[in-house]
Amino acid sequence: MGTSVQITPLSGAYGEGPLCYLLAVDGFRFLLDCGWTDLCDPSHLQPLARVATTIDAVLLSHPDVMHLGALPYAVKHLGLSAPVYATEPVFRLGILTLYDYSLSRWQVSDFDLFTLDDIDAAFQNVVRLKYSQNHLLNDKGEGIVIAPHVAGHDLGGTVWKITKDGEDVVYAVDFNHRKERHLNGTALGSFVRPAVLITDAYNALNNHVYKRQQDQDFIDALVKVLTSGGSVLLPVDTAGRVLEILLILEQYWTQRHLVYPIYFLTNVSTSTVDYVKSFLEWMNDSISKSFEHTRDNAFLLKYVTLIINKDELERLGDAPKVVLASMASLEVGFSHDIFVEMANEAKNLVLFTEKGQFGTLARMLQVDPPPKAVKVTMSKRIPLVGDELKAYEEEQERIKKDEALKASLSKKEEMKASLGSNLKASDPMVTDASTSRKPSNAGSYLVGNVDILIDGFVPPSTSVAPMFPFFENTSEWDDFGEVINPDDYMMKPDEMDNISMLGAGDGMESKLDEGSARLLLDSKPSKVISNEMTVQVKCSLAYMDFEGRSDGRSVKSVIAHVAPLKLVLIHGSAEATEHLKMHCSKNSDLHVYAPQIEETIDVTSDLCAYKVQLSEKLMSNVLSKKLGEHEIAWVDAEVGKADEKLTLLPPSSTPASHKSVLVGDLKLADFKQFLANKGLQVEFAGGALRCGEYITLRKIGDSNQKGSTGSQQIVIEGPLCEDYYNIRELLYSHFYLL
Amino acid sequence: MTHATKAIYRLLLSDYVKVSKVSVEDMLFDEQDILRSMDKIEVIDFHQTLEVNGIRFWCYTAGHVLGAAMFMVDIAGVRILYTGDYSREEDRHLRAAELPQFSPDICIIESTYGVQQHQPRHVREKRFTDVIHTTVSQGGRVLIPAFALGRAQELLLILDEYWSNHQELHKIPIYYASPLAKKCMAVYQTYINSMNERIRNQFAQSNPFHFKHIEPLNSIDNFHDVGPSVVMASPGGLQSGLSRQLFDKWCTDKKNSCVIPGYVVEGTLAKTIINEPREVTLANGLTAPLHMQVHYISFSAHADFPQTSTFLDELRPPNIVLVHGEANEMSRLKQKLISQFDGTNTKVVNPKNCQSVEMYFSSEKMAKTIGRLAEKVPEAGESVSGLLVKKGFTYQIMAPEDLRVYTQLSTANIIQRIAVPYSGSFEVIKYRLRQIYESVETSTEEPDVPTLIVHERVTIRLESESYVTLQWSSDPISDMVSDSVVAMVLNIGREGPKIVPVEEAVKTQEETERVAQKVVYALMVSLFGDVKVAEQGKLVITVDGQVAHLDGRSGDVECENITLKERIKTAFRRIQGAVRPIPLPSS
Repeated sequence: MGTSVQITPLSGAYGEGPLCYLLAVDGFRFLLDCGWTDLCDPSHLQPLARVATTIDAVLLSHPDVMHLGALPYAVKHLGLSAPVYATEPVFRLGILTLYDYSLSRWQVSDFDLFTLDDIDAAFQNVVRLKYSQNHLLNDKGEGIVIAPHVAGHDLGGTVWKITKDGEDVVYAVDFNHRKERHLNGTALGSFVRPAVLITDAYNALNNHVYKRQQDQDFIDALVKVLTSGGSVLLPVDTAGRVLEILLILEQYWTQRHLVYPIYFLTNVSTSTVDYVKSFLEWMNDSISKSFEHTRDNAFLLKYVTLIINKDELERLGDAPKVVLASMASLEVGFSHDIFVEMANEAKNLVLFTEKGQFGTLARMLQVDPPPKAVKVTMSKRIPLVGDELKAYEEEQERIKKDEALKASLSKKEEMKASLGSNLKASDPMVTDASTSRKPSNAGSYLVGNVDILIDGFVPPSTSVAPMFPFFENTSEWDDFGEVINPDDYMMKPDEMDNISMLGAGDGMESKLDEGSARLLLDSKPSKVISNEMTVQVKCSLAYMDFEGRSDGRSVKSVIAHVAPLKLVLIHGSAEATEHLKMHCSKNSDLHVYAPQIEETIDVTSDLCAYKVQLSEKLMSNVLSKKLGEHEIAWVDAEVGKADEKLTLLPPSSTPASHKSVLVGDLKLADFKQFLANKGLQVEFAGGALRCGEYITLRKIGDSNQKGSTGSQQIVIEGPLCEDYYNIRELLYSHFYLL
Repeated sequence: MTHATKAIYRLLLSDYVKVSKVSVEDMLFDEQDILRSMDKIEVIDFHQTLEVNGIRFWCYTAGHVLGAAMFMVDIAGVRILYTGDYSREEDRHLRAAELPQFSPDICIIESTYGVQQHQPRHVREKRFTDVIHTTVSQGGRVLIPAFALGRAQELLLILDEYWSNHQELHKIPIYYASPLAKKCMAVYQTYINSMNERIRNQFAQSNPFHFKHIEPLNSIDNFHDVGPSVVMASPGGLQSGLSRQLFDKWCTDKKNSCVIPGYVVEGTLAKTIINEPREVTLANGLTAPLHMQVHYISFSAHADFPQTSTFLDELRPPNIVLVHGEANEMSRLKQKLISQFDGTNTKVVNPKNCQSVEMYFSSEKMAKTIGRLAEKVPEAGESVSGLLVKKGFTYQIMAPEDLRVYTQLSTANIIQRIAVPYSGSFEVIKYRLRQIYESVETSTEEPDVPTLIVHERVTIRLESESYVTLQWSSDPISDMVSDSVVAMVLNIGREGPKIVPVEEAVKTQEETERVAQKVVYALMVSLFGDVKVAEQGKLVITVDGQVAHLDGRSGDVECENITLKERIKTAFRRIQGAVRPIPLPSS
C-alpha cells in the first residue's frame, strides 16, 4: 500500500484565519506554517497547543505574520521544539517581520507573549534551504525528502514538496503563477500528478483581471492626491508584499520624474532593505540579469527614504508625501498612528493594498460604504514620573515581597485578568455613524476615563527582580582571539544612532534599528497610556489588490494542470472553499477534501505498487517509442523470484494477445493545422472538424469529464472514399499503437 | 553556473575584451558574443537540484573563489563528483568545500598542489601582515601584484581588519588599483549568502565589503606617491599594467617590499623575482638593480595533499580521476593515493588531455509496478503484461487504463464510421459474412435497423435502401476485418443482384456433376499442385512424395500420411460446400 497521509487543520480552514496545519506522513508529523493574526489572541492557538509537543518538523512558507507569527509563542509557551525548515529569505524576513510586530505591540501595550529574545530563540532552530534543494530527513523521517520550490507571492515564498516512496505531497498556499517585478511565478505548474495537493481557496471567488493598467491606476490615484496637497498612507506588511510596491513606486517615480517624498516606515526598514539587497538569487530572472549586466541592484532605492521612527515625518508636517507604514491591519504600529493623524483631512488618501485580516480596523474600513467614523485607542508608552514612579516602585516592592511569600503565581494571574478586562473595555469598536458624530474640531476627544495601565512589568516567575530582555554577549573566537568590530568601541557622535546594540554577532543576533535598540535598552520604568477616541474618517479610502496571489480562475486552471490524485482545500472563506470544492469535484477522478478545523482527514493514496527488477534479457527485447519526455513500450514478462526480489524475465511461452492501445493526445485545432499543411481543406463546423468534402472528425465526451477508462473518444465518419483512408492514415500518425 | 559566477564571468570577460591588444580580426570573441552567451547561461544555486533529460545534478560550495562550485551529477543512479578547483580550508569570506553526503561512484578531482602541503593559514597571514607592517613602519611601500578577483578580496579583508586593529597604521593608505576589482566589489557586496557564516554575521551589522581603510585607485595618475603606502595592483604576473609600473618605480629602493600572494605562471617577471636576482629588466628595456624585498606567501585556495587525502578518505569513491595539475606532480599524487587506498578497490587514473577514460557501470534497472496491475503481488512464474513507461531513468509498469492517472500521457479510442453504398438485400451480406467469419451475430438493439456484429468488433447496419454503415473502433485487427467487409460489400454491389437464369436451374444432374468435378480438380490443383485425374472420378494428389487418392464423389481419401489426409479432406469438404447448390432450408 501507499504512504499513509493525514491532514488536520489547526487553524485557517473554512475561514480566513491564520494558516496552521498538521500533516502526518507515515507517522512523521509536519506542522505546515504556524500563523497568527495581528490581533495575537492566544486562544486562537488552542488546537496547536494540544499537538505542539508531538510535532517532528515545521515547514514555513512565507515570511509574514499569517504564516509564521505564532512560532515564537509556540516555541516558548507550547513546547514546540522541532526543527524548522524555511528558505533563507523566509528566515531573515520572518525574523524582521516578527521584530517589527513585537515592537509595534510593545509600544502600545504590555506585550508579553513573546520578546525579541524569544524570536531569536525560535529561529535558532531553523534549517535554511535553497529552492529545489532535496533535503533528506533522517531518524524518524527516514525516506522522506522535503524540497522548497518557488511560490511567488513573497520573497522566498515556498511551495513545499514532501516526497516519500515516489509519492508527492505538495503544500502550496498563496502561490502566484504570474511573474512580478521582483519575483518569479510559482514552480507549482511543473509538478505532475502529485498524490496529494494541499492548497488554499482564498482567492477562489476573486476573479480580478490583472492589467498593467492597475499599476497605472494606482500611481494615478497617488499622484492625484499628492498634487492636491494631500498625503497617502499605504498600510503594508513588514517585508513581504511591500517589496513589490516599493519597486512599483520606484519605477513610476523615475518614469514620471515625481519629487514627492516616499517614506518606508517600519521598526526594521533599513535592515529589511539591506537584507533584501543580498537576496538577488531568490528574485526573478530580470532582476538578476540587470545586476549581472550593470550591477544595478533593484533595491538600491532612489526615491524611497527608509525611516524607523516618526521624527522625520513630524518634521515634514503637512507636506504631501507617500508613507508606507507597517502593520497592514492598522491595529497597532506606525500605520495605526499615521492613520489617526491623516484620517481627519479629506485631501488625504489611505490606500489598502491587501485585504485586511478579519476583525481588524483595516477590515472595518474596507467595507462598502466605509464607516464615517471609527473609534480607536491611542496608546503611548511614556516613562513614569513623580507619584506614578513612586507607586510603581512600591508596586515592585510589593511584588517582590509577594514572590518571597511564593504567592507570585496567583498574584500574576489576578493582574493578568484585570489587564484583560481593562483591554476589553477599551476595545476599538465601530460606532454608529449618527451617534459618533460628536462635535470634535480638535480631533482628539477623550472618551470616559483615561485608562492608565501601570502594571506594565510583570517579572517572570523565575526572576527575583523585574528584568528587561537581556542579550548575553557571547563572543566568537578565532585564530586571532576574540572577534571584535572596532566600531563597537568607537563613539563618533554622528554615528551614535547607527550603532547597533548587539556585539559581534553569533548567528542569531541580527541588526536592530536604533529605535528598537533604544526601546530595549530603555530600562526606565514606563507605562502605557491609552485613550479611546473617535476618528472622523474624512480621508478617502481605497483598496487595490496587490496581494500577489493567483486569482480564482488561474487557481482552477493550475489545479487542473497539476491534476493531483487528491486535493485538500484549506484557508478560504466557507463560501470560497465550497465553491472551489464544487468546481473541482466535477472532475470525476479527483477526490476533493475540505476539512474543518481539527478534523483529521485521511488522504492515504489507494495506490498499490511493488518494485520489480527488469532483467537485461527482457529489456533487450523491448522496443520503446518516444513520446515527449516519456518512452513507452508494451511488455509481456514472467515473474522470477530471487532473494525476495522480483525480477521480470522474458516470457517462456507466447503471451496472449492484448487489446491494442493507442497512446497520444489529439487536439482538434492542432490536427486541423496539420491537415491544412497537408493541403487538405479543413474547417470547424458545429464542434466537429470537416475534412475534405465528406469526412467529419469529432471528439465525444467532455474532455474534463473523462470517462472511467480515461481515454478520449474520437469519431471519424464519412462515406467510403479515398479521402477517408488518407485522413485515417494521418490521424493514426498522431498516435502510438502499442 | 552559480549566480555569483555568472555576474563575475560577465565582468571578467568584458575586461579581457577591453584589455586584449590583439587586432579585431584576431579577437576570439567580442562584447556581443559575451552578451549572447549570457542568455544561454542557466544559473543554479548551491544544493538546488536540476534535472535535464533525466540526468540530475546539483552543486556544493567549493571554497576556491566566490561562487565556485563542485558539481555532483547523477545519471541513472551513478554519481560523479567534479571538484573543479576546491579548498577544504575556510578562510575569511568563503566556506570550505563541503563534503557531499553521498559517496560518488567517480570523483574527478583537481591536483594542482599534488603532494605539497600548505603552511597553516594563520602562519601565512601573520607573515603577510608582518611584512607589510614592518615595511610601512620603516617608511617603505608595499606592492602586492594580484589578480583582480578571488584572492584579492580575501587579502583586502585581511588588510582591512589588520588596519582596524592597529590604530598607528590608520594614516597609511591602502589602495586596490584595479578597475575590475572595483566593479566586482558590487558582486561581493551582494552575494553575501554564498559566503561563510562569519561574513553573514558581520553583514548583520554592516557589509564587510564596504572597506573602511581601503580605497580604490583608478590609475597611476591619481596616485600621489608620497610616503609609505600599500598598493594591490593587477596583473599578478607583473607582465604589464599598473603593477608593472609601480614595480619599475619601486624596485630599486630596499625599503620597499613586494609580496607575491599566490601561484605565478612560469615565464613572468613575478616568477623571476621570486628567485631574487640581482638585476631586473624594466618595462622600458633598461636594467635596474633589484633592491626591493620580495616575499612569496601563497594564499592560493587550492587543496593541498592533506586536504585531498582526507577529502577522498571520507568520500571513499571507488574511482578517482586526477585532473588539472602538472604531470609530474600528478603522478606523485597518484602513487601516494594508490598506496593510501591500498587494499581497497579504489582505482586512480590520471588521463592526459584528450584521452578519454571509460568506465562501465551496470546498473540494475528497477521498475515500479503501479495501479491496478499491482493490486496483487505476483508469484514466481506468473506473467505480467502492461505498459512500460520510462521517464528519465525511472521505469513504471502500468495497465493501459492507468496511463492517464499516473502520467500526463493519455490513451485514445478512435471510432470509425464509414458509409458504403449498397442496395441489395441485407440477407446476402449476412450470408456472405457467415461464409467468411465464424462469429456473425444479429443485434436486436434497434429492431428497425438490421444490424450485424462481426467478431464483436465491426457493426454493420443497413441504414437505408442505398447504403450500409460500418462502425468499429480502431485497432489493426478490426481495421482488417472492416476492410474485408467493405471489399465484400462492394463486390456484392458490383455483381449486382444476379438473377440466375431459369434454364440453368433445370440442367441435368450429370452436367452439374461434370462441372463440379472440373471445379474440384481446378481448385485442388491450385491447392496442392500435382494433381492427376484417375479413372472413376478419382484424383491422385502428390505432395512431397506422399501420394493420396481422393474419391471425387464420396470424398474418401486414402493416404498414409494422416496430416495430408486430413488436409485434403477439409479442403474437399470446403470445395464441395462451395460448388454444390445450397440446400434450401428445410423449414
